[in-house]
Amino acid sequence: MTYTVALIGNPNVGKSVIFNNLVPGAHQHVGNWPGKTVEKKEGKFTHKGKQIKLVDLPGTYSLTAAAEDELISRNFIVDEKPNLVVDIVDASNLERNLYLTYLLLELETNILLVLNMTDIAEDKGYKIDVNKLSFQLGIPIISTVATKGTGLKELKDAILTAANSSPQVNSKVYYGEKIEKLINNIIVLLKKDHELSQKYSLRWLAIKLLEKDEQILDIIKKSKNATELLEIIS
Amino acid sequence: MKAKEILGEDAELVLADARYDSINKVVKTSLIKGERKWSASDLLDKVFLNKYVGIPAFFALLWAVFQFTFKVSTPFMAMIDMFFKWLTGYAALIPNDIVASVIGDGIFGGLGFILQFTVPIFFLFFALAILEDSGYLTRVAFVFDRLLFKLGLHGRSFIPMLIGFGCNVPAIMAARSIEGKKDRLITILIAPFMSCAARLPVYVLIAGAFFATNAATAVWSMYLIGIFVAIVFALLLRKTILRGDPAPFIVELPTYKMPTLKGAVLHMWERGVSFLKKAGTYLLVGAIIIWSLSVLPWGVTPGSGESLIGMIGQTIQPVFAPLGFSWQISGSLIFAFMAKEVLVESLGVIYSVSSDVGIQAALVNSITPLSAYALMVFMLLYVPCLATIGVIKKETNSWKWTAFSAVSQCVIAYLGALIVVGVGTLLGL
Repeated sequence: MTYTVALIGNPNVGKSVIFNNLVPGAHQHVGNWPGKTVEKKEGKFTHKGKQIKLVDLPGTYSLTAAAEDELISRNFIVDEKPNLVVDIVDASNLERNLYLTYLLLELETNILLVLNMTDIAEDKGYKIDVNKLSFQLGIPIISTVATKGTGLKELKDAILTAANSSPQVNSKVYYGEKIEKLINNIIVLLKKDHELSQKYSLRWLAIKLLEKDEQILDIIKKSKNATELLEIIS
Repeated sequence: MKAKEILGEDAELVLADARYDSINKVVKTSLIKGERKWSASDLLDKVFLNKYVGIPAFFALLWAVFQFTFKVSTPFMAMIDMFFKWLTGYAALIPNDIVASVIGDGIFGGLGFILQFTVPIFFLFFALAILEDSGYLTRVAFVFDRLLFKLGLHGRSFIPMLIGFGCNVPAIMAARSIEGKKDRLITILIAPFMSCAARLPVYVLIAGAFFATNAATAVWSMYLIGIFVAIVFALLLRKTILRGDPAPFIVELPTYKMPTLKGAVLHMWERGVSFLKKAGTYLLVGAIIIWSLSVLPWGVTPGSGESLIGMIGQTIQPVFAPLGFSWQISGSLIFAFMAKEVLVESLGVIYSVSSDVGIQAALVNSITPLSAYALMVFMLLYVPCLATIGVIKKETNSWKWTAFSAVSQCVIAYLGALIVVGVGTLLGL
């Protein structure tokens, strides 16, 4: 079987360098996302006898419905359900980059974190305890310096291992007692709609509903309990 | 249970804050920030992004840019000038007087004259390309955002303004990247005050003739006045017809890169050549039209008050009399509505058909240095060109705003020049 793996990350984290390294130019396919002017790059490579289809998602800071490129990334993860999402972060800018990671964690997708540009982080005097970070986030982590080719062999191994495992769902933001109660109330209502519970992470839907995300509002409006759900956020 | 009671008006922000809190906790335990090795990029930013030094540093760099532009351009300009004088000498040998005049005075005198002033444009683009490729220009937007935001303006506005140093047309189009409708409109309305490359020939001609050793500084002052007027006008709009609060501005600052000679030359060539193309097309047509107006009706002394251009100039001159502009300049200002460099071309034709004295010498004889500086200010603030008006109409999709923009620029240009003359006279200049 072929694993589908998506590459995601903020702009300027070296995502293209990693993509080009994993999939040699001749095997790349460049086109547009259906009906969009946003470029779509994908390609296949084989590692240890397994075939992997790599899809390059647009570089974004967030995953809102308001921006076209962010919506493309989000819809790909929700609709296509890739076996693995490789989240590339700039190790010298962890705080900002992890925001996208947290949004991915909320989507309850299978994540492999790549700490890229660790050389620049070292120059800045950063020491990152990778094991501790991995434990706290509940996802596997690989360190690389893509521009120098460091850690890319290990990355391939890690992609294969991670793509083969199921998503970890143990790490989430704790939003505080009141908000959590609100989220749980919404989840109870959402659960009654089986179609929704099959397709989406209900916690994610609930959070997006609280954010009044346009795309999610449209989905909720068509669901059972729509009036009660919309009443909560009115 | 209502979400609003718990999350308030902006739920997205509250939830995002909670995520950042979690991130900070995680990062605190797994990341140790040790002694930082200072990179060259950090050190440069210590200066260029400094709260107090940042903006003065930008103006200082800009001053250096014009010193460079002037110093390097001068020999090339002299060469082009000599070349066209030599050609004009040959044009005089043409037996037919009319053909000799249209080629010698119209094309060589007008178009050839303006060609020498394209040299500084090339070097200005070269210098700006170096600033851009090094990553510095992005920082200028950042530095100005701090000031602009305090004044209630959108920091992103400064990026179109920087583009405006090259040409106002793409600057106005770049305003599309600004989200709020009012922020965008303000940016479109102030972008024409940014001194574009086509105004440079005018400054170089006038400053070169009147301010000799301080010419580069005089030109530099135009760019400062342009930025100043743009900011004041934006503030005025913000406080009156376009009230509102600006959205915060986020810009990613890449590390500094060593600009390459090849990259800078390519940049310079790409942008400079578009100016040469203009010279080959409508500036050529302009030269012939202005020449015709300056020799018709047949029989009058060419370029005199009796010629068509003389009549136009004299009719309009009373309007500009308080500024001390001669009829030659007043008439040329009408043509300069099409594009600013046409002023140089028009003065070139008028003076070359009427006399053999150098154009710069003729200019010095006709107005005072104070009026000359007022003329530079007028050209800075006056409608940049027809193309700008066209793109404002396209981008705002409103004749009302387009008319507002054009009229306000004419009024501000006149007032600006009047202030220069007034203050100068008070100071006894």
